[in-house]
Amino acid sequence: MKSIAKRTFFCLILACFLLFGVLTFVIRYFLYADRWVSFTGSPHVYTNGRLDTGEILDRSGTVLYSSETKQAYAESQTVRRATLHLLGDRAGNIPARVLRAYASKLFGYDKLNGTAAMERSGGKLRLTVSAQVQAVAMQAMNGRKGTVGVYNYKTGEILCAFSGPTFDPLDPPDLETDNADGRYDGVYIYRFFHAAYTPGSIFKLTTLAAALDQLPGLREERFTCTGERIINGQRISCTKAHGEQSLRDALANSCNCAFSEIALRMGKDALSAQAEAERLTESIELDGITTSRGKFDLSDAADNDLASAAVGQYTDLVNPCQYMVFMGAIGGGGRAAEPYLVSGAESGGKQSYAAGTKETPRMLSDEAAATLKELMRHNVQKMYASVDIPGAEVCAKSGTAEVGSDANTATFAGFLDSEKYPLAFIVIVEEGGAGSSTCAPIARDVLQACINVLDGE
Amino acid sequence: MSILLDFFRGPEGFTLLSVYHAVLRLSLPVLALFIVVRSAKSLLGFRREPEVWAWLRLATGELLPVTHWENLLGRKKSADIVLDFATVSKNHAVLTRLDDGGWTLTDIGAKGKVEINGSKILSARVRYGDTISLAGLEMVLEPVSKEEARLQANSRTKAGKGNSPGLTLVLLTVFQMLAALELVFNRPEARMTVITAYGILIGVQWTLFVGQKLLKRSGFEIETIAFFLMSIGLGVCASGSPGEMYKQLIAMGIGIAIFLFLGFCLRDLETAKKLRYAAAAAGILLFLANLVLGRNVNGARNWIFIGGFSFQPSELVKICFILAGASTMERIVTRRNLWGFVIYTAFIGGCLVILNDFGAAAIFFVGFLAIALLRSSSYPSAVLIIVGVGMLIVLVWAAALAVKHITHVAERFAGYGHIWEDSFNKGFQQTRSLMCIAAGGIFGLGLGDGWLRYMAGEGASDTDLVFAFVSEEWGLVMAVLMIFALAMLGLFVVRSAKVARSSFYTIGASAAMSILIVQTILNVFGTVDFLPLTGVTFPFVSNGGSSMMSCWGLLAFIKACDTRQNASFAVKLSDQGGDKK
Repeated sequence: MKSIAKRTFFCLILACFLLFGVLTFVIRYFLYADRWVSFTGSPHVYTNGRLDTGEILDRSGTVLYSSETKQAYAESQTVRRATLHLLGDRAGNIPARVLRAYASKLFGYDKLNGTAAMERSGGKLRLTVSAQVQAVAMQAMNGRKGTVGVYNYKTGEILCAFSGPTFDPLDPPDLETDNADGRYDGVYIYRFFHAAYTPGSIFKLTTLAAALDQLPGLREERFTCTGERIINGQRISCTKAHGEQSLRDALANSCNCAFSEIALRMGKDALSAQAEAERLTESIELDGITTSRGKFDLSDAADNDLASAAVGQYTDLVNPCQYMVFMGAIGGGGRAAEPYLVSGAESGGKQSYAAGTKETPRMLSDEAAATLKELMRHNVQKMYASVDIPGAEVCAKSGTAEVGSDANTATFAGFLDSEKYPLAFIVIVEEGGAGSSTCAPIARDVLQACINVLDGE
Repeated sequence: MSILLDFFRGPEGFTLLSVYHAVLRLSLPVLALFIVVRSAKSLLGFRREPEVWAWLRLATGELLPVTHWENLLGRKKSADIVLDFATVSKNHAVLTRLDDGGWTLTDIGAKGKVEINGSKILSARVRYGDTISLAGLEMVLEPVSKEEARLQANSRTKAGKGNSPGLTLVLLTVFQMLAALELVFNRPEARMTVITAYGILIGVQWTLFVGQKLLKRSGFEIETIAFFLMSIGLGVCASGSPGEMYKQLIAMGIGIAIFLFLGFCLRDLETAKKLRYAAAAAGILLFLANLVLGRNVNGARNWIFIGGFSFQPSELVKICFILAGASTMERIVTRRNLWGFVIYTAFIGGCLVILNDFGAAAIFFVGFLAIALLRSSSYPSAVLIIVGVGMLIVLVWAAALAVKHITHVAERFAGYGHIWEDSFNKGFQQTRSLMCIAAGGIFGLGLGDGWLRYMAGEGASDTDLVFAFVSEEWGLVMAVLMIFALAMLGLFVVRSAKVARSSFYTIGASAAMSILIVQTILNVFGTVDFLPLTGVTFPFVSNGGSSMMSCWGLLAFIKACDTRQNASFAVKLSDQGGDKK
């Protein structure tokens, strides 16, 4: 009997399996119930196909979305178009990720009471973006494809995260018939968070960040440019022979010869380590959005590939939001605030969520950040003085990324060296030609708009 | 703090009504907790005091108690009566008590001889005073006197002592009344049905309790758990399809009749053994009837419709299956093969393949594992049998899949793990379940106040998804408590196996419990997408007549292994002296 009794352990295993599974489920409940409850179409939180959320407001209190009005989206068509990718469209082609992430906070869901004590209206979700700035960005982009991002690198608030092309959610295009000229290509993609671009020369900032720590005395060195270098039989060329130049002029000239030399002296590992410190190949999560990963892979790179990678070509890809944060890190002395889109949520008149500032890991040393800041400032003063904004020291770098035969991506990234307006930015225009001429004016308009908004607060 | 205040708030803010509902919502889980904990204390905390049925006196004068109806005598440590002498084999003989109080001794292939009063035997009766010799080691079988038996019965802890099952039942009654009250409030159109149905439930449980008291049995925890689960099941029924409450009660009535009949039969092993053959035959007949008359419901042809009634034969076959599989130790150790039972299982498995009922096949397979494990004499042979049969089933299933496309099962498997990606089709039931579990919160939205009730019947929310149904209306706490209650019965079976009278009961209880638990596993984990949804019922809770009957039947096996003093009507009182010669 004893040995038979022992074998009832089978029953014990089943019982333990059951209990273990239930425990696992209870843990999952506390982790994910707020996602389950706002599941699309849930009769508990949806009325007439719309989430019972209340309002979504921008940083100035402009209503971007309201579940209580019939059209739901903003009054102004400009605002509707400028904020489309933040709010999503009706058909769900552009998902309303931010709204979904905070839905449960808006209608006052809590895991103890379920939806029993839920508010059916009066929820408020406050975004950090400014509809006004978004609209300026949209106008400046003027129908071109690309993205404009601005954020406060001290607090993390994203003021602008525009993605073009866009459309009015109340009058969506039919892509079958309305896209003959390709103007709506990739319109459902939120480029600021979900695209990865060949960076071009703005990537020289990454190369420099690594080199300043790796090669002592680099700041004082001089470089000679004959207009081209041959590495492994591969030509690296500049727009012209820059002659003998200091490091800061090499950056201002965006001298490929100088930077390929720096890259080769520094080596693959140092550059890869810097890309890793900048989290270029990782995604970050913010307010329900997971950013796309960039790419930086030198594992099979020969010397010529390394030289090419160091100037933002080869297989390099960066996510606009991620690279903007790196700009913030230069401005912030090596670290920046993690970006976010939602500053707070209210339910039934009570605050149910408030954002807080979190710092990124260190991306470069204090000294490197200070030197880069100086070089980028010099760059603006020397190369695109027209971008400069009185009262805010613009530090920036442009890029023209070769992505095909004639379709260059224009890039421009930087930050304001200002206590009052600690803003980092990135502008990317697809098929935009030269970064300085295409993107710099857009950046100036948008930054000026940001400053106006901040001054008004 | 504000979350706590929200608990008392209704859609119109704080009103008397909202506070009343909040108090009710809180009282139900608190009461349930008391019911489950009190039952757990009795069922898991009881002292395992052995029953002494006879003595073996060694030549040295040492007295060894014989504590089971079936006792393995041998040198190995796991023998029931350990005889640590070099000449004695590890497994030497089995001493078995018969229903008439007599004993038999059986040689189980020991190297040394087995003798009674000097003559070598293979299997023979032993009378009190007879001298047994195992490879020369002599001992005398001595009875337990009437006086000793009476003393023993008095000294063993009575079931329910210190944790009165009567009081637990009172708590359960309050629980049921509060539940009925809330249902009456939220579903006024079904008022009379709800009151009557709960009234009948309360009446039945008290009748059963008092009846057992009259039989001097005081262990009612197992039934209490069943009635507790039934109260919730009845609430689900009242919310989803009030018209079916009476049907559930009728099923409960038939189920309790099976429970009592089976329980009384199991008291005597001889009766139980006779029942085995009838049950095995009945199982075959039920399946044959199913094959001939079965009708396709939701892709599986596992339903029979007779007159206005419908039932699933496979549910009742579970009881027959366990009876057919249970066995006494003497048989286990002497006739070491399981092939008869393997063939029987293969027949059932084959029928289920034809009927396209994957869930039931999984359940029978686990039942088979439980029985095979207990019945095989060594681990290697157990593993061999289990692996062999497992492979056979997979092969048969694969063949069946190849022959005809089992769309029903295939579809359910296709959605598994990807429910959010296909939430309007294959993941429809599970996504709605999780959504409603989340909506219910810890304390639920209130009985009759959920959304899944609109999915009762066709949508199977009151059967397959009942875990989510209960979570939504009664709260996650209640849903988890239901599972605790069942798991607790499982632990009880494991605990009480050590003091079982016969392996027949241990096998029966272990198999019945394994089946109940695996049903719960398939049901709950299917609902929350841990496993593919197989459409299996939650014992005692899911709305389904055949399932209800079968659960009560299975409960009889658990009742039969409860050897606490004066605990179970399915266990004979042991205070009869063994001094009939």
